[in-house]
Amino acid sequence: MKLQIVGCSHHQTPVELRERLAFSPDQTRTALARLHSQFPDSEAVLLSTCNRIELYTASENDDQCPTHHEIAEFFAEFHGLTESEIFVDLFERTGEEAIRHLFTVAASMDSMVVGEAQILSQVKQAYEAASAGDTAGTLLHSAFQAANRVAKRVATETAINKKRVSIPSVAVGEYAREFFEQFDDKKVLVIGAGEMGQETLKYLIDEGATNVAIINRSFPRAQQLAAEFLGEALPWEKLDEQLISADLVVSTTGATEPIVTADYFSQIQSNRYERLLFILDLAVPRDFEPEVGNFSDVYLYSVDDLAQACERNRRDREKEWPRAIKIIEEETLRYMTDLNHRATGPIIRRLRERAKEIKDEEFGRLINKLGDLDQRQQNELERSFDRLVNKLLHPPLESLRDEVETGSPHGLLDALKRLFQLKD
Amino acid sequence: MFSWLSNITITCFAASYGVTLALEASRLFFRVPIRLAVMLGFAVAGWFAHTAYLLNLAQQEITAGNRIALFSDWHAWCMLAAWIMSGTYLGLILRRPKNNVGLFILPLILLFVGIAVACADSEGFPRAAVQSVWGIIHGVCLLIGTVAVMLGFAAGVMYLIQANRLKHKRMASSRIRLPSLEWLQRFNKESLHLSTTFLFLGLLSGIILSFNKHTRITWTDPVILTSTILFLWLAGVSIFEYFYRPARQGHKVAYLTLCNFVFMTIALATVFLGDHGGATVTWLFELLDQAESLAVVCESGNPDPIGGGG
Repeated sequence: MKLQIVGCSHHQTPVELRERLAFSPDQTRTALARLHSQFPDSEAVLLSTCNRIELYTASENDDQCPTHHEIAEFFAEFHGLTESEIFVDLFERTGEEAIRHLFTVAASMDSMVVGEAQILSQVKQAYEAASAGDTAGTLLHSAFQAANRVAKRVATETAINKKRVSIPSVAVGEYAREFFEQFDDKKVLVIGAGEMGQETLKYLIDEGATNVAIINRSFPRAQQLAAEFLGEALPWEKLDEQLISADLVVSTTGATEPIVTADYFSQIQSNRYERLLFILDLAVPRDFEPEVGNFSDVYLYSVDDLAQACERNRRDREKEWPRAIKIIEEETLRYMTDLNHRATGPIIRRLRERAKEIKDEEFGRLINKLGDLDQRQQNELERSFDRLVNKLLHPPLESLRDEVETGSPHGLLDALKRLFQLKD
Repeated sequence: MFSWLSNITITCFAASYGVTLALEASRLFFRVPIRLAVMLGFAVAGWFAHTAYLLNLAQQEITAGNRIALFSDWHAWCMLAAWIMSGTYLGLILRRPKNNVGLFILPLILLFVGIAVACADSEGFPRAAVQSVWGIIHGVCLLIGTVAVMLGFAAGVMYLIQANRLKHKRMASSRIRLPSLEWLQRFNKESLHLSTTFLFLGLLSGIILSFNKHTRITWTDPVILTSTILFLWLAGVSIFEYFYRPARQGHKVAYLTLCNFVFMTIALATVFLGDHGGATVTWLFELLDQAESLAVVCESGNPDPIGGGG
């Protein structure tokens, strides 16, 4: 029995290569089908996210699984690359290591942002795609179901995913919530079309924001963003009036000088009648002069202010790390014990069958030799034979069980196969 | 069947509120998983005991034949005010279990319970007043207005603390968790409007009551004087808020509710220190008398003015 992972992740592979190795959902389906045709007796699940590309394979017999080399070849061929370009970047884990890795990934302990919730749904999607394509069999079913259970345990029994660690999520989830009770009646103004602004906007929309205005020096870009987020694109000249009516401002322009100075804002402020204003200045260099934050009922937060909170939350998550690792270790051990039990099943069955065959043969011969025996005597003799067989088999089977509890029983299984001449 | 309810004393619910406050305060220092449930349990127990105590008071009045004049003394009035605030606190903690609102409301509840205890021996309100419609309106409106001022004060303090933390980006370093600025501002405004309306009605009905009784208004009466100042203040606040838009926002609403509290405290102090509504707080005067005699004795050189050991 073999369980294996070959792939790459953000830990050792640069984004440039990950981008070239990534699989879209359609490509995933195609790749799995192609792999199945090449290795029909091997199970496969392909996990492809922006931070990792990992192929999980499993088979009852070791030689049915594609090797590290074959998988590298497959990836290279699929993406029109050469094997030598990618081989060194692809890591390999097998057996217990592979299971531990899967559990670590699903529990978001291997993510770039530890504790982020998205990875579990990506793992589930990868497994569902493989199930739909009939490439996930008994071994990977049980592994991915266990991974799901482990991720849930880590999420509920530790606080590893309780605190947000990305700047947009902290800005909205921790800070904006301190100011506003609800967002559906708030005017959100986005200045600029930076990535951070877009991500913040996504969180705000998730929180219920509906009234969104986007101002950008490039009006077509503002329109593009407005169409994506169902907001309103406005020309740069409307900045004054939008600042007057806004409740929450997210600013992410690429300007090299502040676009809102304290002098400029003082005119805005007199028209706002000191209404509460929360400004998220996510631009570097900053878009708002720091003095703007001195106005009454204006709360100005820069990237640095939020980064400190992110860092603190990250430290808090790290404190939860040992507990999460403990859960993963427990579950890995449990899974491997179950798996080993399953692996020993066929050998034990064959051993018992072989013993029964010999017993039946010898018992039949003895009955023929002894001649007239009544049914009671025959039964008594048969029970004696059974006891003999059981007593003979008990020590090796007990040793096998002990071996399963402590680790991989493959050595002992091979020994049993050879000693009793059991064929696969 | 419920005779045991008559054994409930002030100590029962005051202690429950005290424990709840201590548990609220402990939230600032350490985390305990089941604390919220225990805290809620004590708050509910306190409110239940408080309710039973008020029902007992009403029952005693009914037994004494005063079917109309229930809760017709300062003791019962203060107990009712504390009971309404306690109910509000319960509602808030159920809706916002993560916020430390109890730190600000529970001391006010205990303050009113304390005043009620101090007023336990005060005379009841004048019989003619409590049996007249204007008297009842006066009492009820002042009760609601006072509670609104107190809750507004708590919300105002919370607003200023929250605004200060957010302005100086100290949010995460502090363990205190408060409602959002928007919620606090809304609560402030609502309590400001409610208190202004009811205190205005209460003062107006009080003036009518006084006029009906004496056929004139004694402006030199300290209670009437401070009440008039309170009334003028509230009228000023309303006009200010109407014409000056920033006064409807943020800090300024919080400051107005704090000022309301100060004026309210002065007005209540003149009520309790005068004999308005039979409110003379005799223990306070006894205490003042004792202090005065102590000073006199000390000046005369006698070291044992109240009979203690030498």
